[in-house]
Amino acid sequence: MIGLGERVGASPPRVDGAAKVTGAARYVDDLQPPGCLVGRTVRSRVAHGVLRALERDPGFDWSDVTFVTAADVPGRNVVTLIEDDQPVLVPVGGTIRHHDEAVALVAAPTKEKAEAARAAVRLVVDPLPAIFTLDDALRAEVKLHGQDNVFKRFEVTRGDDVERALAACDVVVEGVYETGAQEQMYIEPQGMLAAWEGDTCHVTGSLQCPYYVHKALKVTLGLPAERVVITQAVTGGGFGGKEEYPSMIGAHAALLARAAGRPVKVVYERDEDVAATTKRHPSRVRHRLGLAKDGRMLAADVDVLFDGGAYATLTQVVLSRGVLHAAGPYRIPTVRIVGRALATNHPPHGAFRGFGAPQTTFAYERQTAKAARALGMDPVALRRLNLYRDGDVTATGQTLRGSVAAHPTLDRVVAQLEQPPPAGRRTLPQAPHVKRGRGVATYFHGSGFTGSGEERLKGQATVAVAADGVLEVRAGSTDMGQGATTTFAQIAATALDVHVSQVRVAQPSTDKVPDSGPTVASRTCMIVGGLVDQAARAVRSKLEAFAAEVGLAADDPARGDLPALARRWAAARGELAETHTYRPPAGIRWDDQTYRGDAYPVFGWAACAVDVAVDTDTWEVVVERCVHAVDVGKAINPTIVQGQIDGGTVQALGWALWESVQYREGKVLNDRMTNCIIPTAIEAPELETLLVEEPYAHGPFGAKGVGEIPMDGPGAAVASAVEDALGVAMDELPLLPEVVHRRVRAGRAGGAA
Amino acid sequence: MMRCPPFRYLAPETAAEAARLVAAHGPGAALLAGGTDLLPRLKRGQAAPDLVVGLTRVAALRRARAGADGLELGAGVTLAATARHAALTPAHRALALAAGGAATPHVRNMGTLGGNLCADTRCGYYDQPRPWREAIGFCLKAPAGCAEPAAARAGEVAGTCWVAPGGRRCWAVASSDAAPALIALGAEVTVCSGEGSRRLAVAALHRDDGRAPLLLAPGEVLTTIHVPALGPAWRTTYWKLRRRGSFDFPVGAVALAVRLAASGEVLEARAALGGVASRPLVVETDALLGRRLDDEAVGAFAEAAVAPARPLDNTDYQPAWRRRALREAVAGALREVRGDPPEALGVLARAAARVLPRA
Ligand SMILES: Cc1cc2nc3c(=O)[nH]c(=O)nc-3n(C[C@H](O)[C@H](O)[C@H](O)COP(=O)(O)OP(=O)(O)OC[C@H]3O[C@@H](n4cnc5c(N)ncnc54)[C@H](O)[C@@H]3O)c2cc1C
Ligand code: SF4
Repeated sequence: MIGLGERVGASPPRVDGAAKVTGAARYVDDLQPPGCLVGRTVRSRVAHGVLRALERDPGFDWSDVTFVTAADVPGRNVVTLIEDDQPVLVPVGGTIRHHDEAVALVAAPTKEKAEAARAAVRLVVDPLPAIFTLDDALRAEVKLHGQDNVFKRFEVTRGDDVERALAACDVVVEGVYETGAQEQMYIEPQGMLAAWEGDTCHVTGSLQCPYYVHKALKVTLGLPAERVVITQAVTGGGFGGKEEYPSMIGAHAALLARAAGRPVKVVYERDEDVAATTKRHPSRVRHRLGLAKDGRMLAADVDVLFDGGAYATLTQVVLSRGVLHAAGPYRIPTVRIVGRALATNHPPHGAFRGFGAPQTTFAYERQTAKAARALGMDPVALRRLNLYRDGDVTATGQTLRGSVAAHPTLDRVVAQLEQPPPAGRRTLPQAPHVKRGRGVATYFHGSGFTGSGEERLKGQATVAVAADGVLEVRAGSTDMGQGATTTFAQIAATALDVHVSQVRVAQPSTDKVPDSGPTVASRTCMIVGGLVDQAARAVRSKLEAFAAEVGLAADDPARGDLPALARRWAAARGELAETHTYRPPAGIRWDDQTYRGDAYPVFGWAACAVDVAVDTDTWEVVVERCVHAVDVGKAINPTIVQGQIDGGTVQALGWALWESVQYREGKVLNDRMTNCIIPTAIEAPELETLLVEEPYAHGPFGAKGVGEIPMDGPGAAVASAVEDALGVAMDELPLLPEVVHRRVRAGRAGGAA
Repeated sequence: MMRCPPFRYLAPETAAEAARLVAAHGPGAALLAGGTDLLPRLKRGQAAPDLVVGLTRVAALRRARAGADGLELGAGVTLAATARHAALTPAHRALALAAGGAATPHVRNMGTLGGNLCADTRCGYYDQPRPWREAIGFCLKAPAGCAEPAAARAGEVAGTCWVAPGGRRCWAVASSDAAPALIALGAEVTVCSGEGSRRLAVAALHRDDGRAPLLLAPGEVLTTIHVPALGPAWRTTYWKLRRRGSFDFPVGAVALAVRLAASGEVLEARAALGGVASRPLVVETDALLGRRLDDEAVGAFAEAAVAPARPLDNTDYQPAWRRRALREAVAGALREVRGDPPEALGVLARAAARVLPRA
């Protein structure tokens, strides 16, 4: 029987923990099949241009080098995702659309030889004028996508005509907010290993979504589904960065392995990874917020621009989430949100924890802070007046039905601020030139796919008695460090009433696990975890019925021993697999055409307060206190959940204060960990993380998503705190000391327009 | 690709033998201490020695000895050991802060004091993997990709500087934390070659040329760092500017040592700046002599001290910010040594170790 310390709600040790800390876990770079070659990628050195020719140095010894170009692609030369616009390799005669784009591949027996071969390929390119700013993209003198460079446009409207509504407001606050690109900086760089067995292609690697890679490789290789097998190796972090790009690397490895007739491994160097793979979308959001004198929010007009980079990748879905969150968790009767993602010649921007919501959250929470100042109201009181309650209607017309924790999370933060700050925190001295301020943010994050996404996806999960008699969870969801394996094991063990160690979670592989949908969108625990729970219950009742069938008396203790029953079942009848498919709860409706309806099955809620000290000699910002309350529905494993929130908070503080990806002419200038920096333990404040549990009726044990929401709000809280300290509007991220200095010098006063 | 090219490795047991091996081999040889500076450079393709002479087996280099005239630190003493050395007195605070604030704990456990003094200059256009530099057509510091010390030393100029295009010199930045601190403390070094040894001031170890900053002849091995004993009237400190509290090299730093009379007048002073030129910049301190360190003196000195500094756009932060923040750091360091309490120093007090005190 499951112990108390293992049940849902307790925090047993991670099931993958021991292997990781002892080094037994096998990451893709640890896999070394016999005869495996090293693959490298030949990349463009311009941001835009026509590839005229690929010249191989005739003096170089090519005898043991496999060389692959677009001409060697057996299927279609595209990375299939949403729009098929991105080539696996730019063909000769084709257009290079960003710096460090893949144009050819080499594989050789050693890293040294592969690197030398890569360097022995010369690209002949006719450069074209390029676009690196949102304004140039809008001007569309250079056309990268259609006539207007707009990848995608979304519009959400609610209520009256927004101009009329704004004109009728007592106060209108207006601002323009900009955020920069952010690198995921997972600890393990991307990498994939491909090997062909006969005419079946096996690809194993560091990835978040095995079925995305599967879908893409079928097309690139021109193979039927069953002849492409994608397996996840132990993965060292993803944060969205291993959502779309592994399809590209997987295709490269597969093409090289096909040409070489041997396994090929492509593992990126850090600089290559930072330079070429996707990052968070830079953004510019113009926001107008109209309020009544008493603080009621009456109208919001939001214009969202994202720099999508050179290819569509997942940009439109990221934009969609950004747009759907852009009015904030506030009751506003009249809303207009227009979002556009623009094509530029930056490497494609794509999925990153938060998925568009951090950018729009930054804008609306800065607006809320400014509105409070304009009205002379306490920022907490202003929020309390407007925050959603159960039964309120959102900008898309969704009526919130249960599990609304906007007020409880804010209340928890306010109560915590009454407590003394944690001992041992790092602070600046009290001195005249050290200025202090506080910023608050309240926000929400839709759990699961947007709109009809989950319904279309029909994610599946299986709980089985495997052929060897072990109880096994089979899901296409992956663990990249966030703890999904442990969470699934705990959910299944609780439903089956067995020890966590008596449940095995299968390694995600497309020939062994069903398509649970991608491991993204804060959906794994809530959606797939729910399927695991149902499937486990079904297995349990089958095994209990089996116990009766084989004649175990009702009081026989063996009847309660599910693992033993499972072994008996396997011996007598072979496998038992119960697969469950997601069905949205009744009454959920979404219209993709009008962008109206139930945007998400349910939302998570959060509030964050940040105290900063700003040194006015250096303009450095120190976070002295960070209180973060997050509603997760139910914490399946509180330690893992708290880790998710702590990590997300630090990543958000990094985005707010330190992390800056610098492009020059479309090339990433700081492509390594020495210069593309992220905060260290010294920068991280003592985090005061508070879990709020407002259960969701359709989540497993009440659970909702937790992965992304902590990323959304701290940025705005930090900027509002710095603004509070200095009295100057802080409307961009990251707030590097030189940026704070520039803004102070420019003396741009904040507040109402 | 971040891998070291192959090389032959020898590990002699004396410094003289190491010097002889390098001298005999010529420009293709390199000395290796902790390797935290050299090995990344090999991986970035900035050097490709065919012979590497390791100093790890030279036991004498790891010794430290304290005597009446001061401290003798072997060049192979690690930064971590330097920072917490028992013989350091409060007057050596600048060295403890500089060595203890460099890099990360791991790097300080490997990196040596000698290696720190001999470490290469740094530049955002240079400290990049070879393919990156290849893509911009390399630069003056290594026009053909690999550093060619012989050509550089001969003063030949080829290629472009991306920081100051059109110029004929390299502005890569001296990024050693220890060098300015040792200069302020009045330290000297002993270097040995096959023929013998010589002693020179740390201040005479570098020149303002980003390509070849070290004034050692090929085959000379730095063996000892002599830190003078400083009486209790000396007050020293080291303040360092960088983005984070760990990892990052200085983008501006000031080391300061003053001897104060009981009445508060400055009797002696030495100062050096790091991270703003291709060598540690020795600061003229005569203006302080005989003066009390009142606010006016502090402000005037800080202004004058940073005047020769020429931060350019080749490190983290913008040059204007670095100059301004460095001026504040110089002022803050002076206020610290005159005895202002930490509270009054504000944030820059932590620039010293760059780690916030825990409440
Ligand atoms: C992540 C990271 C962060 C860093 N941050 C900092 C920082 O903040 N501040 C800082 O100052 N440094 C920093 N460094 C640089 C480096 O770690 C230090 O300078 C260190 O002290 C170098 O010592 P080492 O023994 O490792 O030198 P090595 O790499 O072994 O040698 C450095 C150079 O000195 C020469 N050399 C070494 N010993 C001798 C000798 N006895 N005689 C003559 N020549 C010699 C070598 O030939 C080589 O050219 C950092 C390095 C890393 C990897
Ligand atoms: S300062 Fe100029 S020459 Fe020197 S390393 Fe930098 S770019 Fe090259």
